[in-house]
Amino acid sequence: MNSPAVLEQLISALRCLPGVGPKSSTRMAYHLLQRDRQGAQLLAASLQQALDKLAHCDYCNNFSEHAVCSVCQDTARDKTALCVVEMPTDLMMLENTRSYHGQYFVLMGKLSPMDGIGPKDIHLDKLLKRAQDGTVNEVILATNFTSEGEATAHYIGQMLKSRGIQVSRIARGLPMGGEIEYVDSGTLSTALLERKAVT
Amino acid sequence: MAVSKPDSGSHKQSQQPVFILHTYPFKETSLVVEMFSQEFGRIAAVAKGARRPLSAMRGMLQSFQQLAGTWSGKNELKTLHDLEWMTGLTLLRGDALMCGFYMNELLLRLLPRDDAHAQLFEYYAQTVQTLSTLQQMPDSQQLAQIMRRFELKMLQELGYAVPLTYDEHGEVIHANESYRFEADYGACAPSATRHGVLMQGSTLLDMARGDYSNVVTQAQSKQLMRYLLQHYLGEKPLHTRQLLVDLQGF
Ligand SMILES: [Zn+2]
Repeated sequence: MNSPAVLEQLISALRCLPGVGPKSSTRMAYHLLQRDRQGAQLLAASLQQALDKLAHCDYCNNFSEHAVCSVCQDTARDKTALCVVEMPTDLMMLENTRSYHGQYFVLMGKLSPMDGIGPKDIHLDKLLKRAQDGTVNEVILATNFTSEGEATAHYIGQMLKSRGIQVSRIARGLPMGGEIEYVDSGTLSTALLERKAVT
Repeated sequence: MAVSKPDSGSHKQSQQPVFILHTYPFKETSLVVEMFSQEFGRIAAVAKGARRPLSAMRGMLQSFQQLAGTWSGKNELKTLHDLEWMTGLTLLRGDALMCGFYMNELLLRLLPRDDAHAQLFEYYAQTVQTLSTLQQMPDSQQLAQIMRRFELKMLQELGYAVPLTYDEHGEVIHANESYRFEADYGACAPSATRHGVLMQGSTLLDMARGDYSNVVTQAQSKQLMRYLLQHYLGEKPLHTRQLLVDLQGF
């Protein structure tokens, strides 16, 4: 029943992926070796290449092949607005809206008080420096509306405000085309609480 | 955390008042949800598929919000079937939110599983409510007092004796005398022990009355609670406290 050591090593290496247990990693290993050797080859090469070439952009902290990523290099973008997001996927979603044309900063995480994830883990020093470049005049906090996301927004907001930077938080409420009849109580309660005057 | 196989067989509990203390990823798409329930104390249950983008449970997994939980199972790890909205919105912001995390961490560390503490639940619910009604920027002393009361209530409800009105020999505390408060013993004559925290009798009496208006009481009660919590928590530091220290550095 003993598998070759090299195979064992592959199976245990695959377990570093989130949510992958011993069963899934065994299935993945056999799939790659038996059914898709070409895919496996590509996976190995891509992984090595990403490890070799990807670093964090000097400006926005997102993954980038160059010291400054393409978004930050784009001269057509507004240099005065800086939008702070938790993850690269959040940046992608905001880009998909085609409604925001400013700069970004990707925290690569969030403050997570219960798990011991603190300010050093979300690159706050880099963000503070970025926001104080003299050109940025508004920081938009677009972290999640979870309790961790809220805590993150609160502390970043405090730090920036104490340094004289204008800070705003993205709004929340009913979704586009949202019908009150079908919306969850939490969303509806916050929409009521954070209502705005009709002008 | 030791994880046993979730068991969804019998022992169904429906629509129980709960607060969510914390969640951890579990398998590929699920979460382990640590809850504080009114009738059953701290409960851990698996919310199956709760990490899927369109999971109905996902939006309901909010801390600091009293919810109605339905779960089943008789093992340590139960199966969570449903969470529902129960009371009006309690939204914690800023420093009050951090106090909320701090209380949750204390409960996770000190509350044993499946051990009912209905009065502590009541007090926790009340404290969350108080925190949610504070204005945007409460002064830090206001928050500190709310935390001192919660810490004391929690230790007492969990069965750790914190005698505040009499000393280790059963004599009444005198406001003008000095004492050394030692965990598991109480207030002692300063010469009787080298352990514990040195304090005024008035601090102990103020704490017994829940009166934190005196500046000396504020400072000494903080020292005392910090010492007692450290004693009962052991070596491992509190993440939430460390986070506040780290944030001070910025
Ligand atoms: Zn960039």
